[in-house]
This record gives sequence, C-alpha cells and structure tokens, in this order.
Amino acid sequence: MADFIQLLFNGLVTGSILAIAAVGVSLVYGVLKLVNFAAGDFLTLGAFVTVFLSVDQHVPFVLAILVAMATIAGISVILEFTIWRGLRKSKAGTLSLFLVATGVSLIVRQLILIIFGVGSRKFDIDQVKTFEFLGAQIAQAQLVVLVFASATILGLGLLIAKSPIGKGMRAFSDNPSLASVAGVNVDRIILATWLISGLLTGLAGVFQGMVQGSFESTMGWMLLLPIFAAVVLGTIGDAYGALLGGFVLGLVMELSTWSIFFGGVPSSYKPVVAFSTLALVLLVKPEGLLGYKARSI
Amino acid sequence: MINTPLFQFKDVHAGYGDVKILNGVNIEVPSGSIVTIVGPNGAGKSTILKAIYQIAKVTEGEISLMGKNGKVDIRNIKPHKLVDVGIGYVPQIENIFSALTIEENLDVGFIHGQGRNLEIRKTEMFERYPDLAPRRKDRAGSLSGGQRQMLALARALMSYPELLLLDEPSAGLAPALVDQLFEELVSINKSGVTILMVEQNARRALEISTYGYVLDMGRNRHEGEGVKLASDPEIVGIYFGKK
Repeated sequence: MADFIQLLFNGLVTGSILAIAAVGVSLVYGVLKLVNFAAGDFLTLGAFVTVFLSVDQHVPFVLAILVAMATIAGISVILEFTIWRGLRKSKAGTLSLFLVATGVSLIVRQLILIIFGVGSRKFDIDQVKTFEFLGAQIAQAQLVVLVFASATILGLGLLIAKSPIGKGMRAFSDNPSLASVAGVNVDRIILATWLISGLLTGLAGVFQGMVQGSFESTMGWMLLLPIFAAVVLGTIGDAYGALLGGFVLGLVMELSTWSIFFGGVPSSYKPVVAFSTLALVLLVKPEGLLGYKARSI
Repeated sequence: MINTPLFQFKDVHAGYGDVKILNGVNIEVPSGSIVTIVGPNGAGKSTILKAIYQIAKVTEGEISLMGKNGKVDIRNIKPHKLVDVGIGYVPQIENIFSALTIEENLDVGFIHGQGRNLEIRKTEMFERYPDLAPRRKDRAGSLSGGQRQMLALARALMSYPELLLLDEPSAGLAPALVDQLFEELVSINKSGVTILMVEQNARRALEISTYGYVLDMGRNRHEGEGVKLASDPEIVGIYFGKK
C-alpha cells in the first residue's frame, strides 16, 4: 500500500509538471499551428535563470521564479515579433516552422551553456526533508510543487474556460477565420498565447528542477518527448486535453515501476511506457483522449 | 436609391492578386432594409463580402457605413474591428465554433458587447432560438444543419449589429428549413437589424427583400424592388431559370 501511495504521489507530481508544460505547447500549436520544439530548452532556461538569481545573486526564491517566468514569456514574445510573425506572413509550412523551432531549441541550449556554464546546478532548498503519509515518504519539494502546480492548473483552467481571452484563444484555435470576423483580436490572442505559454514553460522548468534536485542543460530536452506525448495523448491543440494527458502519462509512468506489475518496469524505461500508452490510446481513439469529431451535415 | 444609405459600395473594383473580380460595383443598403445580391456563379457576389473583410483586395472605390458617429470608411478598419462599428457577419460555411459549446459560441460573439450585459443578451438569443436553449452546454459541432445556421445567426446577433451580412444563408439547408430561415431573417429585420445578403436561392431571397441587385461578370446588371425583380420575366429567364 505504501508503495502504491508513494508512486501515486510521484505520478501526480510528474503529471502536474508535464501538464503545465504540455498546456503551453498545446496552446501554441492550437493557435499558431507551430510545433514548438524549443519548449524543452526554454523550460531548462527557466530553471537556470531561477538558480542564477536565487543562488548566485541571492534574490528571494519566489521573486527569482517570477523573474524567470517573465523572462521566458518576454523572450517568447520577442521571438514572435522577430521570427514567427514573419514566417507566418511568408506562409511557411508546418515542417518549416518545426525546423526553425528546432534551431531555436539548439541555440537556447548552447546559450545556457555559454551563459551559465557546464555542470549541474541545484536550488537552495531543503532536498532531504520528507513527510510520512500512509507509509509513503513525501519530499517537501514534491509537496510544494504539487500544491503550487495544482493551483496553477486550476487558475489556468479557469482562465481558458471563463475569461474572454481564454474563449478567444479556443475560438481562434477552432476556426481562425470565423474568430476574426466575430471580433476576436487575432494579434492580441497570439501575444497572449506566447505570454501564457512562456510563463508556464518557465514555471514547469523550476518545478522540474525542484523535484529532480540537481539539473543540467539537457533537463528540458529529456522531458520534451513526454511533454509532446502528453499533448498528443490529450488531443493536440486542446488545452484541457494537454492537462489530462500530462496527468495520465505522469501516473502511468510512475505506476509502471510498481513491483506488483511483474516486478515493475525499470525507471529508465518510463519514456517507453509513456509512448506505449500513447500508441495504445491512439489505436483506440486516434483523435486523442478529448478528441472530438464534429457531426457531418 | 435613397439619400443616406446605412451602407454603401461606391464604384468598387476588387479582386485577388492580378485577377479582378469586381469592376465598379455600386450597392446601397438603406437603414432597416433587406438587400439581396444575386447573380450567376462567378458574378462576384461573395467577393463583395470578402472585400468588406479585406480578403479580396479593393483597388478602387469606396466602402462606407453611416455609423452613429458619422460616416466610417470600412477600408481603413481591421476585420475584427468591424464588429465595433456595428457589422455582423455569417459566413456561408464553417460559421460556428464546432469545438466550443453553444453557449461559448454566443460568448465569443459578445466579445465586443458594447458595454451591455452578456447574460441578458444570451437569454434573448435562447428565447429567439428555443431549440438551442436546452443544449447550451453541448458542443456546437453536434448540432444539425438548421440548428447550426440558427446558432450562426445568434452568434452574429450577440454583438448588437446594425448591419448583418449573410453569405448564402440557405446553402445546404433542406427545403423546409429554407422557408424557416427566410422567415427568421424577416423577423431579425423587423427587430431593427438591416440585412445585406448574397444568395443563390435568388427568387426566394428577393421575395423577402426590400431591394435587390443582379450582378454579372463583376458589374451591376439590374436592380430594383425585391418582389419586382423576383417576378420580372426577363431577369427570371436569364438569371434564375424557370420556376
């Protein structure tokens, strides 16, 4: 039982981080049809900016996190004006956009190495303090991440469901030409998408860094495939789907290591479990968990 | 036609790239009227609406709306801002947000609610279209063809338009629903909304129209009161086919 609680908790923590990062990727794809392969490295950058500010410059940790999130959001907006807008105007296809995003990803990774140096870093937080819950050992960092990630997801869900900007984003994602004639300000929607995506990506990076304990410049890159798996699992372009996909994959990956399942899957095979789950779900429901086919008329 | 039309197309030339579709089209839409533009395929009917939304490029001429604060040059207004000056639009196809709920479709239509109350407007729309009310939480993509057209109209009406633009509103509807649709358009018009529509179902549309224009090869060919155009044997013979 204690093992199950432990894995369940680990799964929720992993799932919440995947969910936050996946929503950012999904929003960008839904609105801009851009497969943002640079998201993983921006996630890493968020963690490195935070560690630089909080550990090296002694800025309070929460303030450092906020500055890091704002930094990623700011860079995302700058890239919209300098790269993405121009590419859209020149009618660049999905593959071209994907390749440019991959290029951005490589540049960001190298810049992290140049600016912050080689080697692993860690936040100045208590990594060993744990609480016992039904026999499971819950790390303080994990608990903090789960609480704040849950609050973020709740707020994000409300923003997307209830606010005019959230409805505008979903409307634009569903039918861009109708959204425009219905009065949705396309430029504002695109900027909001990059801002929200950037903030979420930066935050996911910090959360992942906190949970991992120490991290290197490849942290986000290693997380990128599960993030994309979560996006596709939940239905690509659907923000709620990304949230669900993140949690499902987080739980499945962690629970797969439970010894009750023929001794459990080795930890290093978690990504294999993630993609096997994705493949199985897509076989049954090709449009993803929240996928929807409009009635034909 | 009249002294101060609500909406005016004056000697408009427009097209796509080097292809010119409209060659000096003139249209006037008086306040409170239903004006229908008909004509054979390729006449440039839909291009008129696309010119308003800057999808077709206007090279010459004037497109204007006589708004509450005076004359507005439509050519200088971004498409998403046309809602602000009082223009609503229902495209021919893909005219609802399929993945959003029916209620959310209305919410998006209210984005520029001119400072009025969203809930009151939604209630008004659900009273006007009672079939939609019990399904307000359903995805719009689950609606039938007729219900979708009603939702498309409701979405456009959410922003309190002075002028409603309709692109082939009866396209794809069953004959029984076509009658229902045109009755609804008359009802919308009686509530104070001016209507400019482009329609293939020419005779039926002209019968409910205050005024009509027949376009051919991107030029005005005929115009007159809707009922008279619909029953003019020469026009019927050339453009509408036999009854």
